[in-house]
Amino acid sequence: MLRLFNLLSILVLLGSAGYAYSIKYETSFRTEQIAKAKLEIKSEQDGINVLRAEWAFLTRPERVQKLSERYLDLEPLALAQIDSFAALPERLPHADAIGDKLDMLGLGVASTPSADPAAAPATPRSKGGASTKTTAAAR
Amino acid sequence: MTIAFENSPPPSEKRLSRKARLGRTLRGLFSTSLDLSARRMRLVAVIFFGIYALICGRLVYLGLKPDPSTLRRAAADAVAAARPDLLDRNGEILAADVKTMSVFAEPRRLSDKDEATELLTATLPVDAKQLRERLGSRKGFVWVKREVTPHQRDEVFHLGLAGVGLLAENKRIYPNGPLAAHVLGFADTDNIGVAGMEKYVDGQGLANLHSLGFELTAETLQPITLSLDLKATHALRDELAKGIEHFKAKAGAAAIMDVNTGEIVALASLPDYDPNGSPNIRDKELINRLNVGIYEMGSTFKALTIAMALDSGKVNLTSRLDARSELNLGRATIHDYHATHAMLTVPEVFVHSSNIGTARMALGQGVEKHRAFLYKLGQLTRMHTELPESAEPMWPRKRWSELSTATIAFGHGIAVAPMQAMMGVGALVNGGYLISPTFLKRSEEEARKNATQVIKPETSEAMRCLMRLNAEIGTARKVNVPGFYVGGKTGTAEKAIHGHYVKNKLFTTFMAVMPADKPKYLFLTLMDEPQGIPETHGEATAAWNSGQVTGELIKRVAPILGFAPRPDPTQPFPLLAKQGYSCSLTPAVASASAAGAH
Repeated sequence: MLRLFNLLSILVLLGSAGYAYSIKYETSFRTEQIAKAKLEIKSEQDGINVLRAEWAFLTRPERVQKLSERYLDLEPLALAQIDSFAALPERLPHADAIGDKLDMLGLGVASTPSADPAAAPATPRSKGGASTKTTAAAR
Repeated sequence: MTIAFENSPPPSEKRLSRKARLGRTLRGLFSTSLDLSARRMRLVAVIFFGIYALICGRLVYLGLKPDPSTLRRAAADAVAAARPDLLDRNGEILAADVKTMSVFAEPRRLSDKDEATELLTATLPVDAKQLRERLGSRKGFVWVKREVTPHQRDEVFHLGLAGVGLLAENKRIYPNGPLAAHVLGFADTDNIGVAGMEKYVDGQGLANLHSLGFELTAETLQPITLSLDLKATHALRDELAKGIEHFKAKAGAAAIMDVNTGEIVALASLPDYDPNGSPNIRDKELINRLNVGIYEMGSTFKALTIAMALDSGKVNLTSRLDARSELNLGRATIHDYHATHAMLTVPEVFVHSSNIGTARMALGQGVEKHRAFLYKLGQLTRMHTELPESAEPMWPRKRWSELSTATIAFGHGIAVAPMQAMMGVGALVNGGYLISPTFLKRSEEEARKNATQVIKPETSEAMRCLMRLNAEIGTARKVNVPGFYVGGKTGTAEKAIHGHYVKNKLFTTFMAVMPADKPKYLFLTLMDEPQGIPETHGEATAAWNSGQVTGELIKRVAPILGFAPRPDPTQPFPLLAKQGYSCSLTPAVASASAAGAH
């Protein structure tokens, strides 16, 4: 009995020693990883700082203005171009004569896509021109 | 048994061999008998003494040896400290730190200094003689070269010299170059603020923290948000530069201030410098003309005089002043640039920019009151902002005579920093609160907390009405940008050279408030010696140049600052309306005044 107990305790001792070692190993491994990650974070942060500064340098108004003057045909914003929503005129009545005619003839798929919901799913969508024709035919 | 053992060895038995004696000693060591322990104790004592002596010796050795961490600290001191980023009011970067590598050496650890010098000068652009001198010094730490390129860094690394190392340092960069340089100032190679906001930031305890050994990294430092708007500042500088070139002026400056918070939203003073180099800020031409230069502001000061007269209640907008003839004061005579030879109402005095009328208003108040009013508006004392640079205004300290009052009334005989004048005019238009200008972002409540009411709200409204009238029909028509309801005042001063005013050397200023009914921004443009050009019919007064620039500036900047053109307000001045004053001139005078441009 005593012998068994001794054996057991020795085994427990060995087991706990092994466990403690593995924990210690794990800990130092993790510590190393953390240190590495911290270093990486630091260098990434430095990198971000450099990139931010570079972005600010490249988008400085003076440079953008020079580039736009050289490469774009745009004019500076004129004050007359600014207006409020309230000043917008009322929406005009729909005045698409050709579109209306097409609709009347039953060809106006593009202008009224939801006009015929039943026909739409049945339409093969592979080719634009063909699909228009098949829809027309179906109708 | 042991006792027997002790007694047993007879002296004769020396031959009992060494082996036996060793065995005896060993047995003695591990025996538990008391009478043998004396020897054992001695042995143990000797061993322990040895161990402790070793430890003590080691401690003394370590204590005397130079500490490697002191070197580390010397390096940390030498390395440029981290500084907080400076951002504009919208979060754009105005100044930031980037990491660079610097090469250092520890002369004490260098074995062959000549060889090291040779190798280092081959890879780095440094002067060999100076480097040899530095390496020969007895210091523990010297710089070889600051801020090397990545390529040079690799080369130095591959030299593999013992005693030469690389250190990451912070370098301050200003991505926008000369833009807002006068506000930002700059930091030197050691990242210590030398001028402008950089110096202010250091003064706020950054330098102290660093010298106490706190490690300041970019992560622990909060960025500092300035009041400037980067885009508006660029537009301002661009328009100003165009104006200076167009009117062939020697120099110029412009600024935009939020009159309700005192924030300087944009500022430029030309010529300026690029803070990325090592600018020579001692150069007099490069000063910030807005707060370091002091100038006679000319007619812009008339606004202050008229506000004083209106605020006293002695004069109201319908009062008439005698400008029929020149004003004689002792030896001096005061003329009008555009003489009207008429009795003028207060608005007429303002839009005609009548020196005589304004001088009479000031004289009506008396010398003491005039001086007290200017003092109250902060025009007689040095104005302090966050910027370390400032200037003392110049005025007749010894003898402020009646003549002084008469000339100071129209802005001659007193020289102030233009930003100071902005603060004064800002108080005239914002409802009467004197708010000191700031370069840090600030809310309206915060600004109001430290503001003092210097004139009545009604007077402030009257001043806005006058400035608006001046933009509609007077000398400030160049800024009457439709949709923004701008008001303005011109100011032209002849420059005093060797104590004499010179006719054709002018200093022109322009102040504009936008919008005049609910004031938000105050624009100031000033130009040093603008020339008359054919386009201006040879005229070089403020309305033609500074006014022109301000007009263009408002057109360009107002949308950036979030203003859209709108129809003119129907009831812009409610307090005046309550008093039954409609803020307009009679048509006859209006048409007559349309010619004036001073």
